[in-house]
Amino acid sequence: MEFRSRVEQDTVDVQLSGRLEFTDHDRLRDIIDLLEGPGLRRIVLDLSVLDFIDSAGLGMLLILQEEAEQRNIKLVVRGPQGDVKRSIDLAKINEIVTIEP
Amino acid sequence: MAISLSDSRVLIVDDNEFNRKSLALVIRRAGITQIAFAENGVEGLKAVDSFRPDLVLLDVDMPVMNGLEMCEALRRNATHEQLPVLFQTAFDSDQEQVRCFEAGGSDFISKPIKPGECVARVRHQLEKRKLFNDLAAYRARVERELSHARAMQHSLLPEKRRLQAVAERYGLTLDAHFETSSELGGDFWGVYPLDNRRVGFLIIDFAGHGITAAINTFRLHTLIDRFPMQDAAPSQWLMQLNGALKDVLPTGQFATAFFGILDLTTDTLTYAAAGSPNPVLGVGGDIRLLDSAGLVLGASRHARYTDQTHRLPRGGFLFLYSDALIECGGADGQRPLGQDAVPDFVRAALEDNRAHPLDPMMERFYARTRLPLRDDLTAVWIARRA
Repeated sequence: MEFRSRVEQDTVDVQLSGRLEFTDHDRLRDIIDLLEGPGLRRIVLDLSVLDFIDSAGLGMLLILQEEAEQRNIKLVVRGPQGDVKRSIDLAKINEIVTIEP
Repeated sequence: MAISLSDSRVLIVDDNEFNRKSLALVIRRAGITQIAFAENGVEGLKAVDSFRPDLVLLDVDMPVMNGLEMCEALRRNATHEQLPVLFQTAFDSDQEQVRCFEAGGSDFISKPIKPGECVARVRHQLEKRKLFNDLAAYRARVERELSHARAMQHSLLPEKRRLQAVAERYGLTLDAHFETSSELGGDFWGVYPLDNRRVGFLIIDFAGHGITAAINTFRLHTLIDRFPMQDAAPSQWLMQLNGALKDVLPTGQFATAFFGILDLTTDTLTYAAAGSPNPVLGVGGDIRLLDSAGLVLGASRHARYTDQTHRLPRGGFLFLYSDALIECGGADGQRPLGQDAVPDFVRAALEDNRAHPLDPMMERFYARTRLPLRDDLTAVWIARRA
């Protein structure tokens, strides 16, 4: 998985690409570090160009949700497509994380 | 890193007595006390076997068998492949040094011996060897323990004989396949006779794989017995399991699950699911994917599940599997099977072997998939005899 981030006012926008899976646990730390930005209120995870997510990747979304919540930051997952959307729907991650089309 | 060399063993092979003595003197001063001697390559090879040195200091020009030949002989023997060999050579030429390395030498020291350089190179080789041996021993220990744990994990799953007994009791065909990815896995499945007319089937996949996921399957195994299945609807039972898993699992760890109860008197399958891959139900000629969406287990205390009921009369079947079946791709970049292709995958296998389609399914899966598997694979075929 690769990611690009951009900060605009109180929102950090993170675009993930490639495959989010078991082997990406170390990269997750880098995304959590983004939550430390001063005055941050919102993090948007843009999954529109992510190709694949496995169960460990879904777990990372849940970890990010908790990390964001602890810092009073709102997490929004945006634009999952194809297989990624299917996996998120199947596991009903939307009951825990806000998913936007 | 400076380690003590007092337990290191060094073999000096040199036809010149003065050289042997002065080399021994130099390395003794560095703390090496276990030293053996040989006067040519043939004696040297014998001494390697009897003395079992950690390092050989080897002269090049010797009668009977020279140092290059001795070193080549050592390298042909798998036991001594990693044994450090330090050549001592009088010729400082590039060509001579290349010959030493080509013969399998680890390094060389030039003659006349400079004590400081000699000790530094000997120490470097011995430290490297010690680190290598420590790592090899550590690895061997981990592999041994993983293989024990793997056997333990397999013992959590229904044995073949028990499957046969359950199949007989309820008039079923039960075939199962289980393979873990990296020695240990997060997959689990079980079959639970509830009474004379009802039997339960459970398949669970913990996120990720390896040791953490495997420990979770052991946790699960103790939790399952805590909640009786007899009097609970599948959705209620999953809710209880979810609550217990939420208590023990850290955030980010969870499990997908399918729990179904087959009732022989009503010819129905009633199930609840928590995000497992869509099971396949076959009734008459109709083969289709079942809805298995549901919040994964252990993610939220508030998770609710719903029961769904389908007809599953004699001759019908239910096929359960973990996501490895649809997510593992092939060598040469072949795409994974994918969820939508599963009904056709089952249909084709039934044409090959109507009674036991799991065999052709696994053959086809392994023919198209790169090994070792990237995730754990479980596949369970449950059919009611016609």
